[in-house]
Amino acid sequence: MKDEAVYILGGYQTDFARNWARENKHIAAMMREAYEGSIEATKLEPSNIRAAFVGNFAAELYCMQGHLGAFFVDFDPRFVGLPTMRFENACAASAVAALSAMAHIQAGIYDLICLIGVEQMKTADPAKGGEYLGTAAWYEKECQGIEFPFPKLFGQLGDEYDKRYGLDDRHLAKIADINYTNARNNPNAQTRDWFMSFEHACTVSKYNTAIGGRIKVTDCSQVTDGAVCLYIASKNYASKYAARHGLKIEEIPRILGWGHTTAPIEFAKKVADSADDQYILPMTRKAITDAYERAGIADCWQLDVIETHDCFTTSEYMAIDHFGLTQPGESYRAIEEGVIEMGGKLPINPSGGLIGCGHPVGATGARQLLDAYKQITGTAGDYQVPNAKKVATLNIGGTATTNVCFIVGVRS
Amino acid sequence: MVNRINTVAVLGASGTIGSLSGGLMAQNGLKVYFLSRTKEGAERGLQRAIAQARSETIAQNIVCGDYEHLLSRAVDEADWVVEAITEDAGIKQHMHEQVEPYIKPQTIISSTTSSLPLSSLVQGRSKEFKKHFLSTHFYNPPGRMPACEITGIDDTDPEIIELMQQFLAKRLRRVVIRVKNVAAFAGNRIAFVLFSRITSLAREFGVETMDYLIGPYTGRLMPPLATLDLVGIDIHKAIVDSLNANTNDAMHNWLAVPGYINTMIQKNLLGNKTKGGFYKKLESGKYVFLDPVSCNYGPAIEPHMAFVEQAKHLIRMARYKEAFEAILSARGREADIVKDILCAYVAYSYSLVGQVTDSKMGIEGIDKVMSYGFHWAAPSVIVDMLGGSQAAVGLLRERKLEVPQALQDDLKSGFRITNSGKYFVAK
Repeated sequence: MKDEAVYILGGYQTDFARNWARENKHIAAMMREAYEGSIEATKLEPSNIRAAFVGNFAAELYCMQGHLGAFFVDFDPRFVGLPTMRFENACAASAVAALSAMAHIQAGIYDLICLIGVEQMKTADPAKGGEYLGTAAWYEKECQGIEFPFPKLFGQLGDEYDKRYGLDDRHLAKIADINYTNARNNPNAQTRDWFMSFEHACTVSKYNTAIGGRIKVTDCSQVTDGAVCLYIASKNYASKYAARHGLKIEEIPRILGWGHTTAPIEFAKKVADSADDQYILPMTRKAITDAYERAGIADCWQLDVIETHDCFTTSEYMAIDHFGLTQPGESYRAIEEGVIEMGGKLPINPSGGLIGCGHPVGATGARQLLDAYKQITGTAGDYQVPNAKKVATLNIGGTATTNVCFIVGVRS
Repeated sequence: MVNRINTVAVLGASGTIGSLSGGLMAQNGLKVYFLSRTKEGAERGLQRAIAQARSETIAQNIVCGDYEHLLSRAVDEADWVVEAITEDAGIKQHMHEQVEPYIKPQTIISSTTSSLPLSSLVQGRSKEFKKHFLSTHFYNPPGRMPACEITGIDDTDPEIIELMQQFLAKRLRRVVIRVKNVAAFAGNRIAFVLFSRITSLAREFGVETMDYLIGPYTGRLMPPLATLDLVGIDIHKAIVDSLNANTNDAMHNWLAVPGYINTMIQKNLLGNKTKGGFYKKLESGKYVFLDPVSCNYGPAIEPHMAFVEQAKHLIRMARYKEAFEAILSARGREADIVKDILCAYVAYSYSLVGQVTDSKMGIEGIDKVMSYGFHWAAPSVIVDMLGGSQAAVGLLRERKLEVPQALQDDLKSGFRITNSGKYFVAK
């Protein structure tokens, strides 16, 4: 395996509070705004782009539109002829697109790749949207005929924690509260102006119904329209970019490590397979430890920030011990001790995560990478973690079937 | 300093603005008294606030009651009294008189009005009362429209304005716009001049055609006459009348209230609240449209014009500047109307820099209120779409519109409306 350095040159996130169906916009409009915003943000020369990779989960279902990469060449006459690709790995679509971009850079095929993650979800009513999301699991076995299958599946993750280690739902409520609180500082977060409190997150009510076992509405990530565009570059290109913009190459965030695993698609099999393992989702744990190893870091305490895949509060609860903040089954300790809050020892999801910032499925992995970039370059604004130098991202597809972890940072 | 406000008394909590702005306060941890003529009215306001927050838990921060039983206690305890009662100067004066005996020396009092002369509301009140009095003009619904215009009267202590600016921004997450104490402040003054012009044009072109021409694709959430149905035709007339009486500027001749508006009011066709205004929804779900000449309703004509459809298509694909090029290159009376309205919006907005907002801020304050109060594309965004300030100056000159100095100078502060694409809807 080559070990060429791969850099992230910044990008742009659309406002995740927008409803593009209400604006009567095409999914390609979202991609275009993200692209144009990214050029303005990075001051990159468009003619330097060698390829465009698009991560998207299910535009065929939500928008009756496939072949999204092709829309990229519509954004600039100079793009006609560029190679484009579309990647689908459920909610991990754009993290997998980023892995592929990294590989293409390391192979020396391209030196600058435009990466777009995009999803338009508000075209579907909640029940239909829930059914579409079910295709990220084993649809026939786990989702067919079930209303809102994913909350139920991730409710089962909570149940498994409860069975093995015990689980107090107030810790899940606290996770929701922290993510909403963080989102209030993120000008692109979907829930930035929504009301939330720990008490509300604890309460089952008309406005906070239980929709999947122990999963309530406040335990869920959002149905979100959004796109993110960022740039993956070789060391050679990043050096030239740095020189043009008066930067040092050492200041530009790079991918320090990565992990990528696939677990059996069926959730029950995952759980059955891990019966004798201290980690409930060992393939998720492996993606994380592979990334640590490749980045040359011993444990999570060498990180400054984590942006994790909190599609439900249970998935963040899982991430806490799988990242190693606590012993397996003791995630509650990090929650109670304030470790994961802003100002804590290792903040999780300063952006608000999928619960607070939003979860446009195919864009989430790219959004996490962009937020990692922002943290490291000190450009995260009101949700900046001071002096962040290393950020981990965890993007999962399905019920933690596809697991992608990146460590992004600058060498200290 | 902003932490010195912890308890609020909302007067008029049965109304939309009172209950929803009061709800925001409760959401952000303040103790809020919801006061109305009847306790039941206040409790209806509470339900509205709960629906806005989508949580019953905020009720623990809200105490409901009527003026007779709770006013003295609530005002005595309050650090801030918000008056959001009926838009009637006499009724407001009387309420302020009733409140005065109970306020503490440092209590802040604000009115949510924008259309009534502010000084008239505190006639007869003490110097100390006036020193702590200002307007906090929330936009409706405050859960979705974060703009809040604030201004004081001559007697208002500048420190109180400063404190409230900080408080509204930091504790209530408002986009605060400091305005001068002039009729309708910034947002309503600009919007209602345009609304007024469109109601006049509707007499000639029809309701449906005007809303089609000046539709969401021109940079607004809703078509203008549909917006007036939401506002209420009676409220529209009251604001335009107030502007007529209290302003005198280059757009004054646009403030005529066509006779059919008075007929609408006489016939109780006040908009959504009377289930009929410019639009009327039939049981079938279809809409019929008011004929301004006869004041009867007629079926949809479904206007279709090539330049509008082309602009909408381009906006659907986020090709905003090309959409405006399509509008600008279109020929014909209808295209001219669209261009005239867009240019008038720019001309009037920039002309008010320094008159309704501080000139040092350039167009920033007006940009903010139009974006965050009306969800319209800000004037500076329209200028960008027209090709920049010099191109806009040229278009204004073509229309013999006075070119504001602020536009010529392209005065801008560091602030910039972001995500401006969201203001252009492909409808």
